[in-house]
Parts: sequence; C-alpha cells; structure tokens
Amino acid sequence: MVPCIQARDISLTFKPKNRDPVTALKELTLDVAKGEFVSLVGPSGCGKSTFLNVLLGLLKPDGGEIRLNGKQITGPGQERAMVFQEFGLLPWRTVLANVELGLELKGVQASVRRERAMELIKMAGLAGFASHYPHELSGGMKQRVGLARALVTDPEVLLMDEPFAALDAQTRDLMQLELLQIWDRTKKTVVFVTHSIEEAAYLSDRVIVISARPGRAKDVMKIALPRPRDYEMRLSAEFNDIKARIWASLKEELVTK
Amino acid sequence: MTGLTSFYREKEAYLLGIGFIVFLLALWQCVPLLITLPRGYALFFTTPSRIAATFYRLLVEGQIQEHFYVSVAAFLSGLGIAIAVGLPFGIVMGRSRTLDALSDPYVTALNATPRLVWLPLFILWFGIGIWSKVMIVFVGAVFPLLINTYAGVKNVDRVLVNVVRSFGANEWQVMKVVVLPNSLPYIIVGLRLAIGRAILGVVVGEFFGSSKGLGFMIASAASNYKVDVVFAGVAIFMGLSLILTLSVKKLENSLARWRPEAAKNF
Ligand SMILES: Nc1ncnc2c1ncn2[C@@H]1O[C@H](COP(=O)(O)OP(=O)(O)OP(=O)(O)O)[C@@H](O)[C@H]1O
Ligand SMILES: [Mg+2]
Repeated sequence: MVPCIQARDISLTFKPKNRDPVTALKELTLDVAKGEFVSLVGPSGCGKSTFLNVLLGLLKPDGGEIRLNGKQITGPGQERAMVFQEFGLLPWRTVLANVELGLELKGVQASVRRERAMELIKMAGLAGFASHYPHELSGGMKQRVGLARALVTDPEVLLMDEPFAALDAQTRDLMQLELLQIWDRTKKTVVFVTHSIEEAAYLSDRVIVISARPGRAKDVMKIALPRPRDYEMRLSAEFNDIKARIWASLKEELVTK
Repeated sequence: MTGLTSFYREKEAYLLGIGFIVFLLALWQCVPLLITLPRGYALFFTTPSRIAATFYRLLVEGQIQEHFYVSVAAFLSGLGIAIAVGLPFGIVMGRSRTLDALSDPYVTALNATPRLVWLPLFILWFGIGIWSKVMIVFVGAVFPLLINTYAGVKNVDRVLVNVVRSFGANEWQVMKVVVLPNSLPYIIVGLRLAIGRAILGVVVGEFFGSSKGLGFMIASAASNYKVDVVFAGVAIFMGLSLILTLSVKKLENSLARWRPEAAKNF
C-alpha cells in the first residue's frame, strides 16, 4: 500500500541575508499512512514547523522528495490544510468569514460556502458566534475557528502545529477530546506537532521523535492503546510506560549540543 | 432636575466646547462697545455679526458659490489623482523589493522637499488656472498617501500571508484578502494627512497662481482691506476642514469595527 505521506531525505537550509545559514532539516525520512494520526515531538528549533510548511507546500526543500498519495508536492493544495499555533485568524473578518476563507479562495458560490461554513461552525461548538470578531473570542474559541477553517474544504490531510499550546490545561483537555472525536468521524490523516509528550501519546497512533537541529526522524513509537481513548486512560500504567519511553528518547536531544 | 443633570453629564465635553465658542464670539462682538479702537486699527477690525452679514450677502450674490466650486474642483481633482497614484504605488513598492529599491531615493528626496517650492514651476508650466493648483494639491497629498500605504503593506503579518497562501491563494488574492485590509488603518491615516495638505495646496495655489477660488477671494479681499470678506473665506475653509476630518474619523471607526475598543481612534 502506498502511504499517504512519503518524505524521503528531506533537507532544507535557510539562508537569511547577512546571517549564517541554518540547516533546519537534514535527510528527514518518514511515512504516514492514510487515516493515521502521527505526532512529531522534538526540541525547540529542530525544524518541526519547517517540516509542516514543506508538507503544506509553502517551503520547498533543497533536497529529497516529498509525496502525497504518490504525487510530488509542489505547492499548496486543497487536500491539505493547517491549523496554526497562534490561530492565524484574520482579525478584520468575522468567525463566519474566517471559516469561509478556503472556499472563497476556491471561488465557491457565496450561498453554498455560507451553508458549509455554518455547518462547521456548529460542529466546532461556535453556534451563535458566527458574526463575532476574533478579538471577542477566548483562546479556545479562536482555535475552534482555526479548526473549522481548516476542515471547511474537507482536506484529506490535517496539519496541526502546536494547535493547543496557547490554551489553558482544561480547555486543552477538552479540545483534545473533541479532536479525537472529529478524527474518528472523518478519518483524516493527521500530522500533529506538539511539545507535550502526554498529548502526543494520548492522541497518536505513532509518535515520531525528531532529533535536535538539523532535524531527522530519530525514533518511531507505536502507541498500541485501544480506541476510543478517554481521559481515564491517561492514568493507566501502560500510558505512563509509553510516556517514559518517549521521554527517554527525547531527553538525549535536549542536552545542549 | 436630575434629568437635566444627567443630560449635562452625558454631553459635558460637547456642551463645554460649544459654550466656550459662543462665549468667545459674544466677547468678540462686544469689543467695540468696551473700547474705542483708534481710526487706523478700526479699518482692520470686524465683528462676528458683520462677518455673518457679509457672508450672507456674498451668498445671495452668488460670489461664494462661484469661488467655492473652483476651489473644490481643484481640491477633488488633486486629491483624486493623488489617491489614484499613491495607493497603487505604495502597494507595489511595499510588495516588490526591486521597485522599492529603485524608487526609494526619489520618494525620500521629493518628500523631504517643501512642496510649495514647486509652485512657481507649476505656474510656468501649467499657467494661472486650475492645472497648476491641481498639481500643487497632488504633490502635497500624494506623499502621505504613498508612504502610509507603503508602511501598512510592509507591516503585513507574515503568518497571515502564509495562512492565506496555504489555502492556495495567488498573489492577487493575497493582496485582496490580507495585504489591503491590513493596510487600511494606515491608508486612512495617510488620507487624513493628505486632506490637510490638499487644502493647504488649494489655498496657497490660489493666493499666487489663480484668478478665481476661495484662496483668491481671501487674498484679493485682504489687499483691499475687506476684512469681513477675508473672515468669510476663512470660515468656509474652517468648516470644510472640520467636515472632512470628521468624515475621515467616521470612516476610520466604521472600518475599525474589528479592533478591540481601546485601539480605535489611535
Ligand atoms: N524563515 C526563516 N529564516 C531563517 N531561519 C529560519 C526561518 N524559519 C525557521 N528558521 C530556523 O530554522 C530552525 C527550525 O525552525 P522551526 O520553526 O522549524 O523549529 P520548530 O521545531 O518548529 O521549533 P519550535 O518547537 O520552537 O516551534 C530554527 O533554528 C529557526 O531559527
Ligand atoms: Mg514550531
């Protein structure tokens, strides 16, 4: 079977003007199966966001190949959508207009995209907030908008860059649960970046540990916990075992090099 | 009584402002009753009631309208051309490094030059009449528009551009969906400055390079010691500037609905 995402020896070096080049990724190789939930964990600055941007088609790698369903990724496409860390909402647009964005850029007729956007707003638990502006929403609500916006074009692959990092612990727990439910219903392929080992272990089918910069896939851990997973599962000895294993691998990368 | 007190509280700033203006006008009106001005000075002195009477007479005779149209025509054409040139140019300069580098020296140098030094040249080139005025209005108004638009475009949030790109937006859509809305507050600040410069351009242009218009009316009245007429002209410019400033403010607030309350009216 062809994996949904196939990254082979991806390398990328940033060459900022008047500064030393930074090699963010070096020969990163990983596969993600269709419908799989994969998390990437790794030290800060190891190139996780860079990799997601390569997947999204916003950055072009200097070397290696990246394929989606066997086809080379050359730019953004509607089979992929990203949920951004700091929400990335357009502050001058209402919730509705923000969620509609993807359809609007595709040239979908106004009435059709309105209907579809309202559907997702409701699904994200934002019914009644369609005409609010982002500054009138809490952090959790903003990220629900971010999620609804990413899902509006019904992408096959959902990329998430520390989507819950800016949220308080309880909101975060709630959003994780909702994300699992949505994923269960829609069967999307998810690539999820996080700094929380607990979050990675709780959500994923596999956790990939990325090495310190330049980033490569260092370790792959299969999370064989049964689904649907609930909050109580996090208290089990098995779950703690998995966390300990991820941590052991990640720890080696955190020592200053 | 409480009704009146709360009405006052609500409109305090407004009522105080209006009240003080009325008080000052009344005081001015009473000056000739309180002190006798020497003959030579009385020639240059007038009162609000005489100004109002003159204003009314000029209005009935149609003189004000005639000059008003000429001035407004120069103002609108100059400002219109400035907007038509300044906005696109500011956007393009903000988005293209090459064009930025090419035009930056000229923009900086021209913007630093006092605009009125061009007036003699414009009068030579375009003659006494509307076109020299339009040009001086244009030169005054175009730079604040261009420079503020440029600043707004430069200031655009990279993350938001990436968000929109990730949905497959082309450069034109990025412009429409992110760059332009993001620059709008800047453009409006530019517009406010540009309006001030444009009015100044009209006045000075008509002082020196015109035989019509409110500026000309003021200048020629002054050289004939018709102080009432001068004041009538000044009052029109005052009213005009006030109305325009308030409209821009309104535009600003209506476009800034998405901003947190505290950031409005920055
Ligand atoms: N546009 C850019 N220009 C220059 N260097 C960049 C750019 N973007 C990222 N980098 C560098 O590339 C490296 C990887 O950045 P990246 O944002 O991918 O890290 P990350 O793993 O997402 O980190 P974090 O966990 O802190 O978000 C960093 O050292 C960063 O400084
Ligand atoms: Mg990152």
